[in-house]
Amino acid sequence: MTRRTFKNNVMGLLVAASAGLLIAVLAVILWHIFISGIRYLNWDFFTKAPAPMGESGGGVFNAIVGTFLITFVAAAIGTPFGIFAGIYVSEHRGQRFADIVRLCADALQGVPSIVIGIFGYTFLVVRFRSYSALSASIALAFMFVPTTARVTEEVLNLVPSGLKEAAYALGARPSSVVWNVSIKTAASGITSGLMTSMARVAGETAPLLFTAFGSRYIEWNMLRPMSALPLQIYIYASSPYPALQQQAWSAAFVLVLLILLLQYGAKHLIARVLRVKA
Amino acid sequence: MAQRSHSDRRELIREHAFSAAGLTAAIALVATIVLFFVQLFVTSRASRTAFGLSFLWRSEWNPVTEQFAALPMVVGTLATGFGALLISTPFALGIAIFLADYAGKKVAEPIKYLIGLLGGLPSVIFGLWGLFVLVPLVSKFEVWFGNLVGSEALVASGTTGVGLLAAILLLAIMILPFSSSLILESLLVVPAELKEGALALGATKWDTIQSIELPYVRKSTVGALVLSLGRALGETMAVTMVIGNGMKMPRTLFDPGNTLASAIANQFLEATSPLYVASLIELALILFVIAIIINIAARVILRRGVQQ
Repeated sequence: MTRRTFKNNVMGLLVAASAGLLIAVLAVILWHIFISGIRYLNWDFFTKAPAPMGESGGGVFNAIVGTFLITFVAAAIGTPFGIFAGIYVSEHRGQRFADIVRLCADALQGVPSIVIGIFGYTFLVVRFRSYSALSASIALAFMFVPTTARVTEEVLNLVPSGLKEAAYALGARPSSVVWNVSIKTAASGITSGLMTSMARVAGETAPLLFTAFGSRYIEWNMLRPMSALPLQIYIYASSPYPALQQQAWSAAFVLVLLILLLQYGAKHLIARVLRVKA
Repeated sequence: MAQRSHSDRRELIREHAFSAAGLTAAIALVATIVLFFVQLFVTSRASRTAFGLSFLWRSEWNPVTEQFAALPMVVGTLATGFGALLISTPFALGIAIFLADYAGKKVAEPIKYLIGLLGGLPSVIFGLWGLFVLVPLVSKFEVWFGNLVGSEALVASGTTGVGLLAAILLLAIMILPFSSSLILESLLVVPAELKEGALALGATKWDTIQSIELPYVRKSTVGALVLSLGRALGETMAVTMVIGNGMKMPRTLFDPGNTLASAIANQFLEATSPLYVASLIELALILFVIAIIINIAARVILRRGVQQ
């Protein structure tokens, strides 16, 4: 074996090992969440609010409700902005302003979540004079819009130009080409993008710290402080009580499950798009 | 005839409404960045007038005496960010090369899925795992290392496990899926003819990677790493949970510290005086400006890398 082939083999082993390490780390993390999470799961955990201080038992139903409400309202606010911005950038491809918009969307995706939290506090909470779930949703919408815009643009760019040209040749106006041809062709791609974005914001904690603030009660009113799973995990994990730390693991298990479901749904939809195209 | 012009007008209105909606959303996106900056700038005024630019290089952060300065947090941010990048980059390169050149489709696809899975886990989950699994391990390592070099000060300063080192290790794991998939993306666009040419000349697989592929993707790899660095610098919850909320300038990696992000997350709800609040907002302002600059720079580098 020459030095070159020896080196070739060694490097091949090394790159395979780094891939193996990544899988191992992921497996260890998921294993801990599964084992520690499932141990304290029970029916109360899903259906009850936290027990009063000092009492055992209780659950995170308040946080589950909060996560769903806050995430859906954030998506409802962010979706139109994200989709229309994506359409704009895709339709004006190559133009200077569209490039700037894309760059801004990319830059916004890189804004740390805690900065969004502070912004939400100074811009919304101070103005409303109260912590509220709605301010959390608006803060999360600021994370939702850029991701949705980028995904929408990318999916729209995949729509075959022949399809659009055919519609134009039939005398369709630009808006109806976008609506009836591009959006319809790209619908499942955009939907899966929306689900991915929702999975992302559903797991965010930092934007909620100073906006939703958290609550020990089952709260349905968006104008009041509300809990959410990530928030509850953070608060329980940092508490000195083992019973609460155990609940943090179980809440983590539930949150990961929820995010996996959203991601699995998104992946499934993507697979369907690809099949339609092929 | 009247019927027709009526429907024409409706179509025209729809047309205008449609392009107005697109333009509004596009402008809103750009305006968001301006809005963030202005909002953070205005609300941090008390801190800016009290400390001026010296906020950036003085190192005392003391809520009791109302002295605030960002240097310990800036140092903590840079140390953890670059530390994590340093550790995770070789692995990221290895994973990307493995997926691009070694793994067949049947192996590569599931691994890519797992990378996406790891990258999609929320920060607070990493924090939870870090706090209860990684930190105890780091603590053991610190005791072992302290005894090894015989430094009692070292052992005394950090045997709890929380601190910069734990944050660096956790961040290294967290940015790995991000950087490896970005690098993989650029490796996949290396033209097959270039690789085949080298292989035809008798180069081994690794020769080809080393002398054809890696030089080809140099620029976009730098872009990918800068982008990952941006991620690490702004990462909040996981770091907050393992870094120890130390306000002094850290001297060793075992010391508890703070990043800009973790200082805000740890202290904002405790901040009672207006000056304290404004100083924390100014930390957010610094972080925001750093993040925007890094992200735009990385995108520009990436775009150039692709064009070339």
